[in-house]
Amino acid sequence: MKRTNRIFTVLIFIFLYIPMAVLVVASFNTGKNITVFEGFTLRQYAELFRDEDLLALLGNSLLIAVLSTLICVGLGTVAAVGIHNLKPRMRKAVMSLTNIPMTNPDIVTGISLSLLFVFVGSKMMGNDNSLNFGTLLIAHVTFGLPYVILNVMPKLHQMDSSLTDAAMDLGCTPMQSFFKVTLPEIMPGIVTGGIMAFTMSLDDFVISYFVIGFDFVTLPVEIYTYTRKAIPPKIYAMFTLLFLLIFGLMVAMNLMQLRSDRQKRSKRAVSDSKSKRIFKRVCAGLAALALVIGLGSFIGMTRQDKTVLNVYNWGMNIADGSDDTMDIIAEFERQNPDIDVRYSTYDSNEALYSKLKNGGVTVDVIIPSDYMIARMIDEGMLLELNFDNIPNYQYVDEIFKDPNTRTYDPENKYAVPYTWGTVGIIYNTKYVDEADLAQGWGILWDEKYADKILMIDNARDAFGIAQYLLGYSVNTTDHDELLACVEKLKEQKSVVQQYVMDQIYTTMENGEAWLAPYYAGDAMLMMDSNPDLAFYLPQDQGFNLFTDAMCIPSCAQEKEAAERFINFMTDPEISGANMDYICYASPISEAKNYMEEYLAESEVVYPPTEVQAKGTAFNFLPEEVSREMDQLFMEVRSTDTAEGGGTEDVIFLIVLGALAVAGVAFSVSSFVKKVKRKTKK
Amino acid sequence: MSKELIRLRDLVMEFDGERILDSINLYINDHEFLTLLGPSGCGKTTTLRLIGGFLKATSGEVLFDGQEIGDVPPYKRQVNTVFQRYALFPHLDVFDNIAFGLRVAKVPKAEINERVHEMLGIVGLRGYENRRIDALSGGQQQRVAIARALVNRPKVLLLDEPLGALDLRLRKDMQNELKRIQQALGITFVYVTHDQEEALSMSDTVVVMDKGRIQQIGKPEDIYNEPKNAFVADFIGESNILDGVMLEDYKVRFFGRTFQCVDKGFERNEPVDVVIRPEDIDIVPASEGHLVGTVTAITFKGLNYDIIVEFRGFKWLIQSTDHCAVGSTIGIRLNPEDIHIMHKSEYSGMFGDYSSYSAEYDELTEDAGDEEE
Repeated sequence: MKRTNRIFTVLIFIFLYIPMAVLVVASFNTGKNITVFEGFTLRQYAELFRDEDLLALLGNSLLIAVLSTLICVGLGTVAAVGIHNLKPRMRKAVMSLTNIPMTNPDIVTGISLSLLFVFVGSKMMGNDNSLNFGTLLIAHVTFGLPYVILNVMPKLHQMDSSLTDAAMDLGCTPMQSFFKVTLPEIMPGIVTGGIMAFTMSLDDFVISYFVIGFDFVTLPVEIYTYTRKAIPPKIYAMFTLLFLLIFGLMVAMNLMQLRSDRQKRSKRAVSDSKSKRIFKRVCAGLAALALVIGLGSFIGMTRQDKTVLNVYNWGMNIADGSDDTMDIIAEFERQNPDIDVRYSTYDSNEALYSKLKNGGVTVDVIIPSDYMIARMIDEGMLLELNFDNIPNYQYVDEIFKDPNTRTYDPENKYAVPYTWGTVGIIYNTKYVDEADLAQGWGILWDEKYADKILMIDNARDAFGIAQYLLGYSVNTTDHDELLACVEKLKEQKSVVQQYVMDQIYTTMENGEAWLAPYYAGDAMLMMDSNPDLAFYLPQDQGFNLFTDAMCIPSCAQEKEAAERFINFMTDPEISGANMDYICYASPISEAKNYMEEYLAESEVVYPPTEVQAKGTAFNFLPEEVSREMDQLFMEVRSTDTAEGGGTEDVIFLIVLGALAVAGVAFSVSSFVKKVKRKTKK
Repeated sequence: MSKELIRLRDLVMEFDGERILDSINLYINDHEFLTLLGPSGCGKTTTLRLIGGFLKATSGEVLFDGQEIGDVPPYKRQVNTVFQRYALFPHLDVFDNIAFGLRVAKVPKAEINERVHEMLGIVGLRGYENRRIDALSGGQQQRVAIARALVNRPKVLLLDEPLGALDLRLRKDMQNELKRIQQALGITFVYVTHDQEEALSMSDTVVVMDKGRIQQIGKPEDIYNEPKNAFVADFIGESNILDGVMLEDYKVRFFGRTFQCVDKGFERNEPVDVVIRPEDIDIVPASEGHLVGTVTAITFKGLNYDIIVEFRGFKWLIQSTDHCAVGSTIGIRLNPEDIHIMHKSEYSGMFGDYSSYSAEYDELTEDAGDEEE
């Protein structure tokens, strides 16, 4: 019985720790592909420590975690003592009230806090930039506080209430008795509560996402925006370090507890109290340091002589100095020493839209896609640009100023193109017969390649492909046409291996799939790591040509500085350097002179002008149409086919099985323990 | 005798409209060992906490050395307390627990060392300085608690049922120990207990309390021999309490007979409670007895037998070293000094009848057993 018990325990541990093990291994992998371990390297770690932005984000996360934990611990302990001294009925009521923020879904807490901050900040204090470091800190304290209270309360409850009487009897004022007697008694609860609040704060995404401003961003929020490209392996390295740090902290704490217990039992109380005192001083010092840094950075943030320019861009959509590229922001700040750029990122056009709509933020430059620009113009969310301040606009190719292609802003008033690109077919030349490409988009329905086809997991792009194939307009609002597309897409299910976005990288690079529709810039990156891959644009049927352009939203406060930034980004040299990193096409032909040759000459990134002319842009669709499209696409995804969805089912079954095993093991072991206890009696 | 140290004047304590203490008047002399005795809920601990400063009276005064101290917080009072469950600080060892009060008072280190060691000697815990509290037995914890309080050299030591959690044997030892310490240090002890034997054997003065009122104050012998009412008579030792009529001084009538007694000062024909202690009753042959009854039960108690005898439907407890067979008819004799007369009180008729003796007896032993755990 004992042995089976032990085996179950081991199984549970494996189940719990395998994801971490995979992460750690991946962080040492030479290859970019997670599924193949190509060799041991520390390069990811080196890169991590060279990436100042990432370290700064980690610093932000740690800072907010430490500060919020300190505040939670202070407030929570005081609150717990207060609640404990209430009459029992009152105490119960207050406790259930304090527990609500913990049981409340994060998203509800996040949105309500955001509403509150925006209301108080904008409406009552007249501060447009009401979401900032302070609000983030308040939010983190809000959800961390219950954990401290919840852990301290039972300790207070267990404590013999006559202990404080005894302390006062021996000459302590109530304050002294709290510090000398109550505090040491409830310390274990405070520490556990503090650790919980710390970890909750460190990895919180949902609540932070809603209350975060542009001036102070935490790591989880930033990483969430890294969806346009695969997560860079240096992130694995950082998470490995983070995991080891917390793991080490826990082990150290347990060891310390064990040692002090042992020392107390033996008679070396004097040396013990000395080491304890040192430990206490170190802790107090660290806490004080964090407080000072926190306050300092907070004050530093609020008092600035420089103009603060808030730039809001897609994640990983600007050259940042890594991989020998130019650090564009740093270069801009060098050339414009009076401007301090605060750069933050979003993961989708819709996220950008809702962030601006919710208010409470000021942002000066945004870079939405074409259809979103159209919507924002329609809703009066953008300011007209003063092109006198953007002389470099002259370098932008004429085709991007032509009202026929520039359907999103035909009057050339609101936007300066940043990048453009196409959606085409990535295929593996080793397995795909190029003659079959004559079918155009139809190759994605070809039985010959059944189960080796990936489909894009995004309603608008997926419908677009069906619309090109069926010869409809991609901006149609015709209900019957949409239904025909759904039928077409359902038909495709039997040959599709998976519906994917980011996973397309690994699956295509290691040859698990042979065909997939995706963005040209990403195709370039994939072709870089697997030379067998090629890119095809079905020009006869048509394809999506998208543009991301820089705009100034109506909440901007530094319009002139924003226009200087836009002008800077439109400089051919800068644009070229930027493209080296993001691999999309520049709307400025001259920029090609400044980018790496393979990129400038790539027909994938820069299709010939006559091909480019065959691309069409997505326009903004009325909301009911785009919602219907989302619903119909969901329907497509969820329809069952005999062959479809195999791997996902298997994974689901494995997870379910593992959970069942864990559950059974747990109940068996607790049952065994019970029986043992009974037999002992 | 020595001078008065503490005086409680018309103390009233109310909690949520419930009266816990009802005008308590009491004085405590210097060097006195005074015990507050009563069943649980009688207000004895509340009285102690008022002296300690942990509670504030609803009305009335607490005087210390002639000074009103009702508003003085506990940490400024010259009293120290030994708490019911000791309330030792678990995060400190024996030495640090005892040194706690001295450290708060910022006594120089060398003096702390000296005084703590002296105290450890007094309570017999030398060599236990660095022990953790949870590594001590109940008796040892008790000694630490006493040492921790006494090391501060208080004028008064308050003890709240300090021996309640100890087993019987240890309790007896500690009773002697406490008395010895009190006499050696010459400190005033105010002691709270519900154990009448403990109260009688240790105290200079016993204060019997019930329902928030003082029932009687006196020396242990007086309390035992001259209980003021049925409650005191019953609570202190065992008593047979009968309805009687005081015919005139030294003459009382009950059970249809007139007895000689030593009490006087009652009104003519005043209805009274008559107390007869079980051990004072002499058993004689039925023909020689003042009263004749039938033995209904007998229990061997070690020192004596507890014998239940029925007289005209009323059952008495008699303690005797002689064995009587159940069902036998016996006579008893009562000497004038065996009969104690009390005025009627609210407690009349509630105590002193052993009709339900066996059940009550079981209940009592059960209670005692619980306490010893």
